[in-house]
Amino acid sequence: MVKRADAIVVGAGVVGAATAAALAESGRRVLVLEQGVPGGAVSGASLACIGTHMMDEEELPLLTWCCEAWAELDRRAPRFEYNRCGQLRFLRHENERRSAETWIGIERAAGLRPELLDPAEVQAIEPGLTGPIVAATWSPDSAVVNPFLAVRTLLDVARSGSADVVSGATVTALVTRGGRIAGVETSLGRFEASIVVIAGGPWTQRLAATADVELPIVPRKAQCLATVGTRPVIRTVVGACKAEGGVDAGYTQIQQAASGQVLFNTVLEGGVTATGSPEIVPEVDRAFVRDSVDTLLFLFPALAGLDLLRSWVRYEAVTPDDRFLTGPAGPEGLFVAAGDGGTGFVRSLGMARIIRDRIDGTTPPCRDDLYDVGRFAARAAA
Amino acid sequence: MMRIETDILVVGGGPAGLSAALAAAKAGAKVDLIDAGTQPGGQYWMQDPVGPPSTRQQAEGAAAARAAIAANVTIHSGAEVWAAFPEREILANGPAGPLAFRYRALIVASGAYDRVMPFPGWTLPGVMTPGAGQRLAKLGGTAPGRRIALAGNGPFLYAVAATLRGIGATPAMLVEAGTARCAPARLVSRHPARWAEALQLLAAVRAIRDRRRGFVVTEALGGDRVQAIRIAPISHDGAIDTTRTETISGIDALLIGWGFRPMIELTALLRCRHAYDRDVGGWYCSADAETGRTSIPGIYAAGEVTGIAGAAPARLSGALAGIAAAADLGLVTSDFAHRRAILARRLQTARAFGQALGRLYPVPESIATLVCDETIVCRCEDVRKGDIRAALSGGTKGVAGAKLWTRAGMGRCQGRICGFAVAEIVAAETGTSPEAAGFNPPRIPLRPVPLNVVLAGTREGAL
Repeated sequence: MVKRADAIVVGAGVVGAATAAALAESGRRVLVLEQGVPGGAVSGASLACIGTHMMDEEELPLLTWCCEAWAELDRRAPRFEYNRCGQLRFLRHENERRSAETWIGIERAAGLRPELLDPAEVQAIEPGLTGPIVAATWSPDSAVVNPFLAVRTLLDVARSGSADVVSGATVTALVTRGGRIAGVETSLGRFEASIVVIAGGPWTQRLAATADVELPIVPRKAQCLATVGTRPVIRTVVGACKAEGGVDAGYTQIQQAASGQVLFNTVLEGGVTATGSPEIVPEVDRAFVRDSVDTLLFLFPALAGLDLLRSWVRYEAVTPDDRFLTGPAGPEGLFVAAGDGGTGFVRSLGMARIIRDRIDGTTPPCRDDLYDVGRFAARAAA
Repeated sequence: MMRIETDILVVGGGPAGLSAALAAAKAGAKVDLIDAGTQPGGQYWMQDPVGPPSTRQQAEGAAAARAAIAANVTIHSGAEVWAAFPEREILANGPAGPLAFRYRALIVASGAYDRVMPFPGWTLPGVMTPGAGQRLAKLGGTAPGRRIALAGNGPFLYAVAATLRGIGATPAMLVEAGTARCAPARLVSRHPARWAEALQLLAAVRAIRDRRRGFVVTEALGGDRVQAIRIAPISHDGAIDTTRTETISGIDALLIGWGFRPMIELTALLRCRHAYDRDVGGWYCSADAETGRTSIPGIYAAGEVTGIAGAAPARLSGALAGIAAAADLGLVTSDFAHRRAILARRLQTARAFGQALGRLYPVPESIATLVCDETIVCRCEDVRKGDIRAALSGGTKGVAGAKLWTRAGMGRCQGRICGFAVAEIVAAETGTSPEAAGFNPPRIPLRPVPLNVVLAGTREGAL
């Protein structure tokens, strides 16, 4: 086994896999260390929507770049069920209309093409959506991918460069020498590299702390449900309209995977699920199951007799402003790319690009200061 | 939705569950029993759905169910448990709609299912597990075929032979991996209580004309259904010698399996401690021998879920769990200590016999070598062994990693059929043990359940 590499990436979720691919493509010998199995934590649990719709105004250029990068990856390696199916965000009440229109205005100004549809127009796109909604926004360019296969594809890209992937290696501490990063200690021994990128999701903060780097990341419970596979019944990604005024009134995502399984989740009550420990993965809670099934059947009443098959819970990494922490941190040679906030899949390729550009000293395609690792400390000081 | 508050909830209506329910009810507890079958009895005591009991076993089961009902046990037949929540709550889907139970103590007697290893041709119609073949025979006397080959390993094959003989469908052939002959006889000779049963099984085996020991079925052949099988001997080093295969034609049903796996979904969902022993079926729920207590307070386990040992220890461990669960709720009968001591002693003997017998018929270590790259391993999702190999060489690891990258175990059966095979294949491919390869943790729902039933079960808040 390679005990020395140019760069070590800690974590083989989608962010780690994308970072490994980006670094391997720029010619580095990369070693990816994964404590569990690749994509086995929150990446694999993700509904992996690739889109720009109702996300974050300031991040729109980066999100647009990311969507194109995913489409490009699909052209190069079409092995992860990339499907540009479009995205609907339904409005349950008239008072959501203003928020929908505001988002549409912002996105159209950025050159995107979302629109507001009435229920009949919605049904023309999504015939099974017969529930009593008042309208829905439509973002035709949103896509979905199979999260496991996307991680696998990115690792394949990395491995076809010069990366190695080691599963079952828990990184316990960062190793520094003379104020520079020198490698990591793991359950399989020490690995050396002058560059270490922590892409460990909710575990990132604890590992960074071993080099006295404090990161404001908290783990938050993410839950999901899946039915048995069935004939095509849902064509698009269906979500709830994002509420006005920055207060998140909840979260819904519903889609049908290539396997035929309907994947869905709804979180009510402010849209924030309980924090917890990523070490102990609990079962889904009762209220979550109720709200998710209730919302699915409100929209798609014909699915009432379909069998539920599986549920899962993972922990996502959340930062105070819901944006990634991506860039250099602490000792020279240490980088961080974490803080998915539950929508990390689309952003992963952009975060990988920022890390690569920071290491290579090249210019990123979009502004990277939004993700500056030290931004909260700087704000607190100001 | 029906909401039921009870002292003791028993899951499973086979020998262990019925004995547990009876013992707990006799001690004065309010007892409810949920069972997936249309009638209580489980596989061992499976009742004829139309006629009266026609075998000694069926009569025994009918009597056990009658005794439980007479002791005021409420039996909910045809109900599948699909969720368990931390507030001592179990949700089930019954024939008349959703059921919600709130219990003070839970006894899991969920039993076991067939242990399956794929091989070329195993998905042909006419190939089934011995358990499925026995079920056909027990439920209405249907013979699985006219020229039946019974194959695999373990004393259960003899029980299936006896059931089939009972409906006039004696198998044409028995292909056993094991070669042990004297050891089982010696074991049985030390347990006089088992002599009658052993003689009956022996007669059923002897009625099979073509019997091969030390052989395995390497392939099932046929067009629309199985028409022939290929068998090969196991050589001295334990490898399957495929250079010496022999084709047996004229077969129209192949009943093949490798004993049972404990049905641990519910105990695993409830986070009870589990352990691994290939000779008692792989992963099983650890339970105290005298009380059936698991590692989680208020949860007890009895019967095959605690390790495959057969019906006799299942009944005894059920009775022990029943009186212990009642006693832990303060329902202690006057003869409690005495009864417990007697039952525990008998359980020790019965379990020692059952487990020793299991160890005499181990699954061959080389069994996973029968699976070819093109062989479908996960039938629900059409995953082949080659897919699993590719995933493992692509950097993933263990049963969990194989699942995520190939979908093996992600389908409707959630790995109940392929779980054993995937663990053995992962272990063989990556030079680790099946135990270290891990298993897919069960999640809610434990069985597929319609969304409207899920909504009814979760809508009205906590009980």
